[in-house]
Amino acid sequence: MQASRARLFKEYKEVQREKSADPDIQLVCDDSNIFKWTALIKGPTETPYEGGVFQLAFVIPEQYPLSPPQVRFLTKIFHPNVHFKTGEICLDILKNAWSPAWTLQSVCRAIIALMAHPEPDSPLNCDSGNLLRSGDVRGFRSMARMYTRLAAMPKKG
Amino acid sequence: MQPPVAEPVVGEAVDDGGVGSSGLAEAEFDKAGWGSCGDDAIMQQEASIMASEAERVPLVGFKEPLSSLEAEYESGSPILLNKIKMLGEKYANIRRTRGDGNCFFRSFMFSYLEHVLETQDEVEINRISGNIEQCKKTLQSLGYADFTFEDFFSLFMELLDNVPRGKETSISLEELESRCRDPLVSDYVVMFFRFITAGEIRNRAEFFEPFLFDMGSVDQFCKSSVEPMGAESDHIHITAISDALGVPVRVEYLDRSSCDMGPQCANHHDFIPSVCQPSNDTVNPFITLLYRPGHYDILYPK
Repeated sequence: MQASRARLFKEYKEVQREKSADPDIQLVCDDSNIFKWTALIKGPTETPYEGGVFQLAFVIPEQYPLSPPQVRFLTKIFHPNVHFKTGEICLDILKNAWSPAWTLQSVCRAIIALMAHPEPDSPLNCDSGNLLRSGDVRGFRSMARMYTRLAAMPKKG
Repeated sequence: MQPPVAEPVVGEAVDDGGVGSSGLAEAEFDKAGWGSCGDDAIMQQEASIMASEAERVPLVGFKEPLSSLEAEYESGSPILLNKIKMLGEKYANIRRTRGDGNCFFRSFMFSYLEHVLETQDEVEINRISGNIEQCKKTLQSLGYADFTFEDFFSLFMELLDNVPRGKETSISLEELESRCRDPLVSDYVVMFFRFITAGEIRNRAEFFEPFLFDMGSVDQFCKSSVEPMGAESDHIHITAISDALGVPVRVEYLDRSSCDMGPQCANHHDFIPSVCQPSNDTVNPFITLLYRPGHYDILYPK
């Protein structure tokens, strides 16, 4: 508990110091609880998520950084590796391939990379995975684009 | 545009009944009990396997006579029994470690610290401290942020600092055993070794790359097989940590294979750090591990 708190505090200071280093990621710690964070990430360019801003929720376990943070999408997203209802993310580094060498910031970068490179063979959202697996890239992109517009773009006016 | 194909999905796939599927299908899906087969359920099952292993073997066990090994193979293959008999001529004791994927690093940790505790070898402590300082610089030059590894480094340095006698903080062998069994200490030290190993492999990528075969690039290998807790170790890890820390390691192999010395002899391999190799003196590793396919324990010579 003490070790995780100390580590998170170091990450917090690093995030403050490097605020402008990665304009696609805005990582914010909860005011009253250093074990709760949220992040806003920009949808990568040349993907159906471009132009969208997606919110992630982090819950950090007491064994952090030996155990991975729990991360899920709060913003609805149509992606083979993200559960459509719960926002759960299927990403190896959040499970068995986790290592303390990762940070909350680099986890955000890995999630952005996953958005750009879906893995349709291990889908959490089968409809989305099946579109890609059956080669219907256009169908996949238009669905993903629609949900980006509906859920991840600030309303105009 | 063709409609999505509703083919069954194998592997880790979990249908969420997401967009487009009917409520009925979803209900049937849950009734079949497949709804609980997600990653979380798999991780929970793995955790329960780990927990039952934990009840059986502490992270670092007690020193046992080698005969306890023989007892395990009572009705086993004659090749193995013969090899155990031959090991019995050289080794008196065995100390088991938990089979949680960290057994090599855990064995290395205890064996090393026990050695410096017993020999009170200040020269060795100073030598390894210098290597560790170098490893830290390597990690920094590879782009690791200090805060990702420094806590693991300082915990090992603290443990190393407690080994020499005559200080208020000095520890006994019993105390070392109990710390190496405490997951809060033990897992941090294992992670320290994982950082050292990954740093060495990345830093000498050209040397290690040819040994990876189908295991991907050096970066992929470190990310999937070195840096995560529980990722098992093999020759590559042992070579890297032995080189990085300048600590020779002997591994005795106990498996069904035969070796060139004859059909039924246990064979060993010495990992000698490259810095030791130019000298003609025979290097005698003070860490000896017993390898059985998939697992490492500690051996004590007679």
